[in-house]
Amino acid sequence: MKHIASPHAAGWLLALAVAVLLPLFVGGYLTSILLLIAIYSIVAVSLNLLYGYTGQLSLGHSAFLGIGAYAFTLICVKLHLGFWPAFFGATAISGLFGFLIGIPALKLRGPYFILVTLGFAAIVGVIILAWTGLTGGANGLAGAPRPNPIPLPWGGRLAFDSLLNMYYFTLFFLMVIVFVCRRLVYSLIGRTFVAISHNENLAESLGIDTMRKKLLSFTISATFSGVAGALFASYNTVISPDIAYYARGMDLLSYLIVGGAGTMAGPVIGTFVMMAIPEGLQIVPTLRTLINGVILLVFLIFLPTGIGGGFKTLLPRLGRSSKSGMERNGVA
Amino acid sequence: MAELTQYLLNGISQGCLYVLLASGLTILLGIMNVPNFAQGHLYMVAAYLGFYMVMSYSMNYWLALVLATFALGIIGLIVYFLVFYPVRNAPEVNLFVAAMALLMILEGGALYVFGTETKWFLVPWSRTVLSLGSLSLQLQRVIVIAGTTVVMLALWVFIKKTSLGAALEATAQHREGAMLCGIKVSRVSAMAFIIGTALAGIAGVLIGPAVLLEATMGMGPLLVAFSAIIFGGLGSIPGAVVGSLLLGVAESLTSGYISAKYSLAFVFAIMIVTLLFRPKGLFGKEVWRP
Repeated sequence: MKHIASPHAAGWLLALAVAVLLPLFVGGYLTSILLLIAIYSIVAVSLNLLYGYTGQLSLGHSAFLGIGAYAFTLICVKLHLGFWPAFFGATAISGLFGFLIGIPALKLRGPYFILVTLGFAAIVGVIILAWTGLTGGANGLAGAPRPNPIPLPWGGRLAFDSLLNMYYFTLFFLMVIVFVCRRLVYSLIGRTFVAISHNENLAESLGIDTMRKKLLSFTISATFSGVAGALFASYNTVISPDIAYYARGMDLLSYLIVGGAGTMAGPVIGTFVMMAIPEGLQIVPTLRTLINGVILLVFLIFLPTGIGGGFKTLLPRLGRSSKSGMERNGVA
Repeated sequence: MAELTQYLLNGISQGCLYVLLASGLTILLGIMNVPNFAQGHLYMVAAYLGFYMVMSYSMNYWLALVLATFALGIIGLIVYFLVFYPVRNAPEVNLFVAAMALLMILEGGALYVFGTETKWFLVPWSRTVLSLGSLSLQLQRVIVIAGTTVVMLALWVFIKKTSLGAALEATAQHREGAMLCGIKVSRVSAMAFIIGTALAGIAGVLIGPAVLLEATMGMGPLLVAFSAIIFGGLGSIPGAVVGSLLLGVAESLTSGYISAKYSLAFVFAIMIVTLLFRPKGLFGKEVWRP
């Protein structure tokens, strides 16, 4: 009971209730924005596992998003398989790419690692554009299906043709991935991730196989990003090289840092805030990267731990001051 | 044989762009330990500045070159105080993210101000091609090679023969030691930013007339310049110059003999292989351990 009543759990339940109920009251356009927020939140959460908890800053997650989306569409269109085989296939392919890139990249540290991930993102973008026979080049690919209808136990089927149902489908995956990340971070493996993020040499001296653990974190992160890519392809039904554009990897990182890297709710809060603000202010799409950059810079200078980190330091302080106030009253 | 020589020549003229970017990056790396991801975008801004000065205000090209270089130097100073100075004591990773934020601001701003369509930066001699036997090269490309040579010689004289240059080098070698010698390190850092971005400014106006202008034109050259720094060995300007020229030639050969579409991928593969098997690069003395 105590666990459920904690402010954290209450916050998550409140956010979930809002996420479930909000689309019922807003129009289709805003629901589609919420859907995109959910998809990018998945990538931000997976990036958080890698950067926030394992300390490895990657600019290459746009590539995994793109690989997931293209693998999903290609399996459906070229191999004529259904939604679920394509979904799991795309997720596995994305994870495999993460594993294979991780082996050389994670041997490097700091700026070298960031550069290799950025280069990987740039190369994936180049290949998607250049390999027109497979990817359709700049024209993109069409024909990704929506999920198969799920038969309900009391008869009838749950179909995903409608935007609302697709939104709930995506939200479900966001919930699952946040839950898995939470369990992972509080497990022994997660503790070793955090140890690596604090001091890699020290962690290694304690007998942690840092390379394997980093590779595990990177692969899981790439896999989850692949889920987001497949969901995006399924929702949009048409994909273009735009999805794997390297600047998207930077946008995603800015969502994470503004929201607060290394906090559970940070990536979701960050993605919501950073995507909702330009929407609310009706900002031209070309200006968004500019605004994202400015917001990121302001946070970096004044609140480098992000919104989530700000709450983390603020909440205990509020609690303490009110408690000491009560104590004073008690003494008086 | 003639084909090969032509590709080598093309590669050297392309490599000159990387020389200018990579030497600016090396100076910033040495002084601030910042891999300035936005260097390529500063080059893009300079190319657009030159474009507007020459095309819209029909300014003399050489005057535009000088003015754009000064403008970029001032932008470098502003960038230093607005972006990097506030986070100078933060964990290293925040510096990279600050550089990334700068890149996003420049790219978004350029897309908004300059538009998404590509532009031709035309100068009076744009169509002039010089030929020698079977070799031929755009006059602008010859200007690029000559200009880069002059700039690099001037940079060498500045660093080796002036006291300001000596302060720059001393700060790069040992920050605390330089402080103890009475060097004002924050001033030297500001100067490094001015010089580093001014080099990007020269690059933009020199190369601009030889390429198509678009808001994302800086990303490919930036990645190649970084690869060149790592390939040549971090922290040494001569290493950066040799690495840049070699990668320029490698890029020209791959696009000549294999495919132009994938040349960036080849260059990057070279960087990854270098990092894995010889992380100190061709001429580097030690691995950069931030």
